[in-house]
Amino acid sequence: MRALLFALVLLLFLPLFLSRYAVEVLTQGFILALFASAFNLVFFQLGLLSFGHAAFFGAGAYTAALLVTKAGWPYLGTLPAAVLVAALLALVIGFFSVRTSRIYFTMLTLAFAQLLWAVVHKWYAFTGGDNGIPGIPVGALAGSAKGLYYLALLLLLLGLAFLYALDRSPLGYALRAVRDNEARAEAVGLSPFALRLLGFVLSGALAGAAGFLQVAWQRSAFPDFLYWTKSAEAIIAAILGGSAHLLGPSLGALAFVELGAFVQARTEYWPLVLGLVLLFLVLFFPRGLVGLFGGRDARG
Amino acid sequence: MLEVREVTKAFGGFLALNRVSLSVERGRFHALVGPNGAGKTTLFNVIVGRYRPDGGEVRLKGRRIHHLPTPRIVRMGVGVSFQRAQAFLSMTARENVMLALLGLRGGVYRGRPLSRFRREAERAEELLGWVGLEKVADRVAAELPLGDLKRLDIAMSLAGDPELLLLDEPLAGLSRAERRQMMDFIERLLRRLKLTLLFTEHDTDAVLRLADRITVLHQGEVLAEGEPEAIKNDPRVVEAFLGGSHA
Ligand SMILES: Nc1ncnc2c1ncn2[C@@H]1O[C@H](COP(=O)(O)OP(=O)(O)O)[C@@H](O)[C@H]1O
Ligand SMILES: [Mg+2]
Repeated sequence: MRALLFALVLLLFLPLFLSRYAVEVLTQGFILALFASAFNLVFFQLGLLSFGHAAFFGAGAYTAALLVTKAGWPYLGTLPAAVLVAALLALVIGFFSVRTSRIYFTMLTLAFAQLLWAVVHKWYAFTGGDNGIPGIPVGALAGSAKGLYYLALLLLLLGLAFLYALDRSPLGYALRAVRDNEARAEAVGLSPFALRLLGFVLSGALAGAAGFLQVAWQRSAFPDFLYWTKSAEAIIAAILGGSAHLLGPSLGALAFVELGAFVQARTEYWPLVLGLVLLFLVLFFPRGLVGLFGGRDARG
Repeated sequence: MLEVREVTKAFGGFLALNRVSLSVERGRFHALVGPNGAGKTTLFNVIVGRYRPDGGEVRLKGRRIHHLPTPRIVRMGVGVSFQRAQAFLSMTARENVMLALLGLRGGVYRGRPLSRFRREAERAEELLGWVGLEKVADRVAAELPLGDLKRLDIAMSLAGDPELLLLDEPLAGLSRAERRQMMDFIERLLRRLKLTLLFTEHDTDAVLRLADRITVLHQGEVLAEGEPEAIKNDPRVVEAFLGGSHA
């Protein structure tokens, strides 16, 4: 607890001492942290591996980007819409996916996301196709490196607070009950389909908020946001950090982004280094980076 | 209380249940017996809505329930305990029962931490006391031995104050000593709670001791139904059991 408070204070004051570049890298870390934490709600609490979370990230991003550029909304005002659109998309994709299990769920989520990516990638008239939507005005606050840092940190903390509350609430237990034992869950009055769908929608909404932030970080929206590699980033961050802990995905995301920036500045072999790091962690620290801190898994 | 009429259930071409009828009266302890593969578990699954019957109907307190999903049926006052003990392994025994309490009342969509549901915690404590698990209430279910898991399963099935309790082989997998204990426990508990019980069990002694009505199932069909004394001496039953895989 004390360590967490210390970390929080550190994060609050860090931008005062860091270079603009370092602040931007950390901000990207927060955004991925929010995205990976959202993904982990489905991965850990529901026990389902989504390979299509980029769809919700991208939905949030393009909603914000399009509302600003086509409808003239102020960037910050698009947040609720970005979250809502991502949630609605999750409702549709989830409706078809959560009733299938395991590998089919993974393949279906991947297929939906790739389908969406293909549409965004080709629909020049509306989404700008593979040129994306560049040069988005995001206002003074989100337009400054420090402002965006604090905005991303705030949304990340809100997201984590929400996940923490969910984790301990009867609803969180019910989600894990369905994961643990579907037959038993039904026999105590829980509806697996409704619970999975709800968990999936909440997860999609959070991922949408992360996508919203990404627009400000790049002042643009690109089809890449919906590509499967974006989904993979969330998976890697969650596993790297440790999916059984609330803070695991965030830790993994920060490590992923920081390490990536560090290595990419020096060599072009970032994928190789990432592979080695992952291999090492999976082999020696199967519980992820949180395991390094000796923290016991808070949950199941 | 429970009325099963002409229920048929096929898996592919295989008739697991063939026009099975059975009536469980309020307050009765009704046993469903038969050799392995007779269709007992399948019938349970039909009753609780896990399988949809291909023919026939199931009524609970007069209402047709065979088209309803399991969560709806259990909330109408049916407690379910499984042949293979089932629990939510990532949670403590207490959390298992609390979740059952909330789930059966449709109360899981709430934001307060589970640990702050005082009334449910007290009630869970009481239920765990009934099944003799108060000492392991805060142990994670994954660490509990099978005997304790079966008790936990029963505590969960009682969480909704059911009128009808379904127990599928409550003694299976237990040691001889554990069986005795479990039998005593079930008998005491049920007499006190004035439940209606439908159960299956291979242990003949247990069946004769608990049941006041027996239905014999054999290859998916009802072979006989009656009082324990009559069933015990029914030549068809004797033959089916000796001919079956189980004595
Ligand atoms: N889901 C299923 N799919 C195919 N066959 C099944 C299924 N469930 C049960 N059966 C078959 O139905 C028959 C009855 O099984 P079951 O009801 O489990 O018997 P019992 O509980 O009396 O031992 C068995 O032959 C079993 O193989
Ligand atoms: Mg059986």
